[in-house]
Amino acid sequence: MAGQIKRILDRIIQDRSQGNETIAMTTKIKLVLKGVDPDKYSVLSEDDSATLLKVKEIARELGVAL
Amino acid sequence: MAIKTVFSVESTAEGVVADLAAHLAGFSVKFMVFFTSSKFDPQTLASIMNQRFAGAEVIGCTTAGEIISGKMLKNSLVAMAFDAEAMADVCVGVVKNLADQDQVSEVFAGFERHTAQGMLQLNPAKYVGIVLIDGLSLAEEKLMERIGDLTNVTFIGGSAGDDLKFKKTYVFAGGKAYTDAAVLALLKPQIGFDLVKTESFSARKEVLKATRVNEAKRIVYEFNGEPAIEAYAKALGVSKKDASNKFMSNPLGLLAGDEPYVRSPQKVQGDAMVFYCNVKEGMELRLLESTDIVQDTRDAVEARRKALGGISGLINFHCILRTLELEQEGRMGEYGEIFNEIPTIGFSTYGEEYLGHINQTSTILIFNEPQRA
Repeated sequence: MAGQIKRILDRIIQDRSQGNETIAMTTKIKLVLKGVDPDKYSVLSEDDSATLLKVKEIARELGVAL
Repeated sequence: MAIKTVFSVESTAEGVVADLAAHLAGFSVKFMVFFTSSKFDPQTLASIMNQRFAGAEVIGCTTAGEIISGKMLKNSLVAMAFDAEAMADVCVGVVKNLADQDQVSEVFAGFERHTAQGMLQLNPAKYVGIVLIDGLSLAEEKLMERIGDLTNVTFIGGSAGDDLKFKKTYVFAGGKAYTDAAVLALLKPQIGFDLVKTESFSARKEVLKATRVNEAKRIVYEFNGEPAIEAYAKALGVSKKDASNKFMSNPLGLLAGDEPYVRSPQKVQGDAMVFYCNVKEGMELRLLESTDIVQDTRDAVEARRKALGGISGLINFHCILRTLELEQEGRMGEYGEIFNEIPTIGFSTYGEEYLGHINQTSTILIFNEPQRA
């Protein structure tokens, strides 16, 4: 499987920012500080299981329902 | 005047507060933030501040040096006072026992009752937060992460100091002094505001991936699968013995886009490296190269001043490591002069907060000129 990590990260940013560019930017920084850089993932990125678990946990912490 | 900065170098808590009150005579204080030398008894100072400024929300913390417009001070107390023309609303909460993360939710529940809005619904263009936290708690990362999880409002601030004694730091709110605690203030300024994060480093190409860490103790045992200090020395091209001499000028940075979020090494422990903030396993850090603190700060502040047309108040949370570097270079005066024409307070911190916990940085809260609100 590929691209699921990217989709979850996009979902987190979209859900939190609701299209507000400033909030989207700060949410991206929060993700980097949590240890996952959204810019390093694309729809072609392999879904490493540990990272997938990590981004699901981050979504939960940020209150984003998947 | 909507925002007023004051300072005192009186030698007693009673004297310093009396001095502040005299300078603020006739000014109706709605909110005040103060930064103080650790030389005063904290409970006495908190109590006297509360009596003198009854009716105002007053927060503060101890420092490793203070900043006022044009000067960097020691053994003083600096304060910024806001009247109702400058500050529409303020709500203050204290997170005690920092190991208990649920307390952020409790403080935020209080903010929600006060504003009658959910913390996630608050508009971050209208609200901003200040966070002052015990600088010896090792708890800043968890606190900032929890804050960031629960709100889109940006909390900016610093870790309290104790004049480099590294014994005990205090934060102040509601007439009390706390240790092992953080003070959170949710502000709704009447005037516009802006946030600046400035650090004087450029990213080099070398990458160090943390492959074995103790996150809670801020220790990295291995970078790139090698003993941490060996990997760091190799990346810099210096001997293992000389590597720690490079910590100040070559810390590591977590890059968000092109922006480094600095992780500063504190010391070598065996072959491990202890940092001033945590590094998570798997994080890829870039080696950083120091640039000119004075020039970079001047550029950052001037750019904002030009963009905003003026600044009516500036709060500078300024890393103690930057202060020590400026002291070593004999440039304290030059740095202070950047803020000559700007109503400024600040302090030398044991860590800076902006979205997360960072090092060797200035996090700055700027209040616009009222006409630019």
